[in-house]
Amino acid sequence: MNASLAMGAYGFYVWSSVAVFFIVLLIDTLAPLARRRRNLRELRARIARQENRRRPGTPPSNESNA
Amino acid sequence: MANWVPLWLHRLGSPPVFYRFAGAVRPWALGLAIVLAGVALYGGLFVAPADYQQGDAYRIIFLHVPSAWMSLFIYGAMAVAAFVGLVWRIKIAEVVAMESAPVGAAFTFITLVTGSLWGKPMWGTWWTWDARLTSELVLLFIYLGVIGLYHSFEDRRQGARAASFLVLVGAVNVPIVHFSVNWWNTLHQGSTVRLLGPSHIETSMLWPLLTMMAATKLYYVASLFARVRADLIASEGGKGWVRELLAGRDGDAA
Amino acid sequence: MTPGSTSAACAALLRRDLTLAWRRRGDIAMPVLYALIVATLFPFALGPEPALLARIAGGVVFVTVLLAVLLSLDNLFRADIEDGSMEQLMLAPQPLALLVGMKILAHWITSSLPLIVVAPLLAGMLKLPAPATPVLVFALVLATPLLSLLGAVLVALTAGSRRSGMLLALMLLPLCVPVVIFAAGAVAAAQEGLPWIAPIAWLGAGLAMAVVLAPLACAAALRIAMDT
Repeated sequence: MNASLAMGAYGFYVWSSVAVFFIVLLIDTLAPLARRRRNLRELRARIARQENRRRPGTPPSNESNA
Repeated sequence: MANWVPLWLHRLGSPPVFYRFAGAVRPWALGLAIVLAGVALYGGLFVAPADYQQGDAYRIIFLHVPSAWMSLFIYGAMAVAAFVGLVWRIKIAEVVAMESAPVGAAFTFITLVTGSLWGKPMWGTWWTWDARLTSELVLLFIYLGVIGLYHSFEDRRQGARAASFLVLVGAVNVPIVHFSVNWWNTLHQGSTVRLLGPSHIETSMLWPLLTMMAATKLYYVASLFARVRADLIASEGGKGWVRELLAGRDGDAA
Repeated sequence: MTPGSTSAACAALLRRDLTLAWRRRGDIAMPVLYALIVATLFPFALGPEPALLARIAGGVVFVTVLLAVLLSLDNLFRADIEDGSMEQLMLAPQPLALLVGMKILAHWITSSLPLIVVAPLLAGMLKLPAPATPVLVFALVLATPLLSLLGAVLVALTAGSRRSGMLLALMLLPLCVPVVIFAAGAVAAAQEGLPWIAPIAWLGAGLAMAVVLAPLACAAALRIAMDT
């Protein structure tokens, strides 16, 4: 097992290739998930702001029919 | 007869339908991609015999060649989506084209780095001005240009349309670059490195390669769908369906 | 030429752009000055041996000219977009591609022609052998309009965006790789006494294609980027 992990004399090159492949693709997988979560959070905050603006005072007349 | 295919494609052009479809497909594609990549890497790194010329260093092929295929395949898919988006002004096609670019750039980058890591022990140099390497580098620049142009516009759709046009210009350009670099190499007669000798490939080496190819394709689908979903949330934020999504299931599901 | 006809409109636009450029003559000198500065710096960086300089002279002159053209490309359409005359051109009854082609021609005359004129001087400073100099000028005459045409398409694409000179350079690099290869290849071949007509012919073929296609692409790109 140890011998096959060493890849002859080329272990460094083979395993760095594997590492580069997975690190780049891991970043590529996580980036859109984080972006989606951020977008959802911002959207939720925006909706909450709009709700707050509508609720506490008197009901605004220009949006009552919306 | 087969009327449902165009009908289904037509329905898929609507952002909420695509959002749900992408959300349903993405985990399966990603899971299958991981399983296939694991099988392919086991087969390629441990099962397949060492090459009689290159020893174990050739095993980089199982990462390098699928990535190189993907860098071109994604450009092709992006060009088709860009063309569809420009001609028929379908929003989803524009988003698909623009969100393909980062995935393509990632695979191009992997191709360049793994190619260098392969070249260093094999040819004694990590970079040579060969037509294939230079074309791949130019491809990376085109991907970066597309991403940069898309993000330099205030208005997303306008940016997407301008960058889609750049994608089509680049599609014309890449073969010309390849041809001109080939010509340039014959002129300069510098380091003529044979990248892949005329060798037939063993079955024990072929199946991991093909499995890895399938895995990268599925990975592209998964990553693209995740990106399109993130993009749609931002660009369709004011629409009713996104608000329903937020109110209904707290946003994290679906 | 009847007033209002396409040819009259093209001539008027060309005259207007040339007049505007002539009123700000200092701007015409800028790319030339830039090319001179860059070409002067090379011997200081590499040492003054004539053999070494002669070997790299052709390539250095091409890259220098390319960068100078890139520098001037940024304001190809800027003034017209800022003062609104680009919208006027887009609404004009004449085909936009032809009018844009005239603007590119005017830009080439004001920015690239001076560079071609000083190119033999730069080549001489860098000890390019005398027989190769006519080939250099010939290659530049074909390569600079090609660069202007290709660059104009990209400048048109960035018309509606936040300005970024780096972005333009990033987008232009892949497009100008073949141009640089063939133009510098012709000079290198002439220097080594090899036939240099093949790369020049490829440049000419590229130019013929670009003269037809680039204004059309440029017009399409402007309509996309200015679409509001």
